[in-house]
Amino acid sequence: MTERAGRRPSSRKAVSADPGAPATGDVDPVDVVAELAGDVAIEPGEGISSESEGFDQISAEDTEPGPSAAGWIARRGLIAIMVLGVIAAPLFYRGDAGQTKLTWMAIGLIYIIFGLSINVLVGYAGQISLGHQAFVGVGAFTSAYIVSVSHASFWVAFVLAGVSGAISAALLGFIALRLRGLFLALITLAYGTVAQFTLFNISSLTGGGAGARAPRPAGFTSNRQFAYLCMAVTAALLYVDWRMVRSKVGRAIFAIRENELSAASFGINITGYKLLAFTVSGVFAGLGGSLFAHQQQLVQASSFDFTFALTLVLMVVVGGLGSRVGVLIGSTFFALFPLVFNAISLYTALIGAIALLLTLTRFHGGIAEQIAPILRWFGGGTLRKHPRRVVRTGGESVSP
Amino acid sequence: MKQFIVLGLIDGVVYGLLATGLVLVYKGARVFNFAQAEFGTVAAFLAYWMFEKNHMPYWLSDVLAVIIVGLLGFLLERLIVRKLFNAPRVTMLVATAGIALALIQLEIIIAGANAVPLPPAIQGVGVSVLGVIVTPQQLLTFVALVGLGVAMGYFFSRTDLGLAVLATSQEPVATELVGIGTRRMSSFIWTMAAVLGGIGGILIGAGGSIFPSFMTTSYLLGAFTAAVVGGIDSLPGAFVGGVVIGLTRDLGGYFLPKTIPGGPNLLVFAVLVLILLVRPQGLLGAKA
Repeated sequence: MTERAGRRPSSRKAVSADPGAPATGDVDPVDVVAELAGDVAIEPGEGISSESEGFDQISAEDTEPGPSAAGWIARRGLIAIMVLGVIAAPLFYRGDAGQTKLTWMAIGLIYIIFGLSINVLVGYAGQISLGHQAFVGVGAFTSAYIVSVSHASFWVAFVLAGVSGAISAALLGFIALRLRGLFLALITLAYGTVAQFTLFNISSLTGGGAGARAPRPAGFTSNRQFAYLCMAVTAALLYVDWRMVRSKVGRAIFAIRENELSAASFGINITGYKLLAFTVSGVFAGLGGSLFAHQQQLVQASSFDFTFALTLVLMVVVGGLGSRVGVLIGSTFFALFPLVFNAISLYTALIGAIALLLTLTRFHGGIAEQIAPILRWFGGGTLRKHPRRVVRTGGESVSP
Repeated sequence: MKQFIVLGLIDGVVYGLLATGLVLVYKGARVFNFAQAEFGTVAAFLAYWMFEKNHMPYWLSDVLAVIIVGLLGFLLERLIVRKLFNAPRVTMLVATAGIALALIQLEIIIAGANAVPLPPAIQGVGVSVLGVIVTPQQLLTFVALVGLGVAMGYFFSRTDLGLAVLATSQEPVATELVGIGTRRMSSFIWTMAAVLGGIGGILIGAGGSIFPSFMTTSYLLGAFTAAVVGGIDSLPGAFVGGVVIGLTRDLGGYFLPKTIPGGPNLLVFAVLVLILLVRPQGLLGAKA
């Protein structure tokens, strides 16, 4: 453990993800950008349990000097270029083709929010959710109802969508406190089904089969403006997610995922933090649902079916459970694949399902593990491949 | 009222059959098989393809479809389930859900998203049972599935193979020691579960229209609830649970006001929550 004292600055991240280590309170602004762009995410098996941390830290990489000043400039520069590229992209999308691309961008960003939401529950807290469409749908219908029936402002609707998502998730959380693993999966499945067939079909609230109208908010009526709105919300939620993971809350939730009993014996409030994970996931889903509603401008119950819930799960599993960058890539992939390759949209779910099965049986870490060397490089490491990590298999934790 | 009870009983044995498949896999692999109902859809589509498109005899199409689905179950066990033997159970559960999704998509790609009619096994007008008119297909489904249930009861209590399956699920190590290959048992369990699902799909689909994922959307949740209600590790319990769910749904459809959309599903959810919170081991299950 003494080697830690001499580590390069960015190694600090691995330390703070360790539940036993003290929190690092200071925030380096450069690091914020680096991490939001996906510098070091919490990868499965890294920095969570102490033994795998040990394997990682004694590697030769730690004793090597970090990159030179030019190396850091190259790394930070690339990140800055990517971030600026995404921010500037909508300005260059013009004409009819540009409108399509702006729509895709908004959908991709909304799916990232969905991915973050389910990642909080499945990746961080280790609670399976096969009924996530319920939270998203509740947010979407709440937002649509408030804007089109109550004629309140979008911002009120947006906030209340988050609140309603949180309430619906917390309700499920109370049941989840008493159930684990397979039975939890079953109850979430039933919850999602009830939401789709009963809750979302109450005509007075949701317009029944015809759906509810959700006009674009004032000031964000064009596709470009709406894409920026989605971008702002996604960035804010990425920041919240990142800060949560790095805080006491994040460490407590990870500890519960690893082993509830030992977490409880360290004085972690299992009930409270589990409910918190559900609530945070619900807030994200509700906010994402609100944006989804106003992006589509018409919300229908049939959009929130079991296949949608499965897509949400498989995009985070394929992306890499618990990895923010993995979730980002996985979500974008599944959101845009059917749109970009319009002709073969039929094959999307099939390819997704096969990717899922491959991820589960062969490449446990998903996309995040495949691109791990690149992520390490951005964090100041080398591109060299490392020996495979210890894959945890025990317990009911979802992360493969 | 009487009609809903009879229909509930017929639906009940279907739920019972699917739940038996779920319990079987649960006993073998300690996992909930989300692909169980989809085996049925695949079999129904195979039967449709052979009978309607290639003009093969009806019964031959059915038998071949069930055999092919059995092979599918065998292959999936080899390719996916076996690789995940030591993985967390929830990982395997997500994998079975992935299998279901892949099967649904394959059906859509091959057969299209539209519903197609599958003719009933027995043509003819409805017959009266206890003063309620049921179609011959419904009667056949009921008799065939009850017969299958009795046969399974015999299989699991009187034959060597059946006892070996049960032994594997209870004590894998001890079973290995007395010379029963647990891996082969796992193959057998998945094949049998797929065959049961396939039979269910063909019997339900016949006489109505079939569309991709119809078994999953209509029966999977009910079958899971039936398995949990009966006791997730109890084979007789699965049939009892199936009948409970069938009656709950159909009587619920009768008693609940029509203004509540998706009423039967709501009832199933209520039953599921109730049983999981009050009696998690189910009606006939052993206490863990």
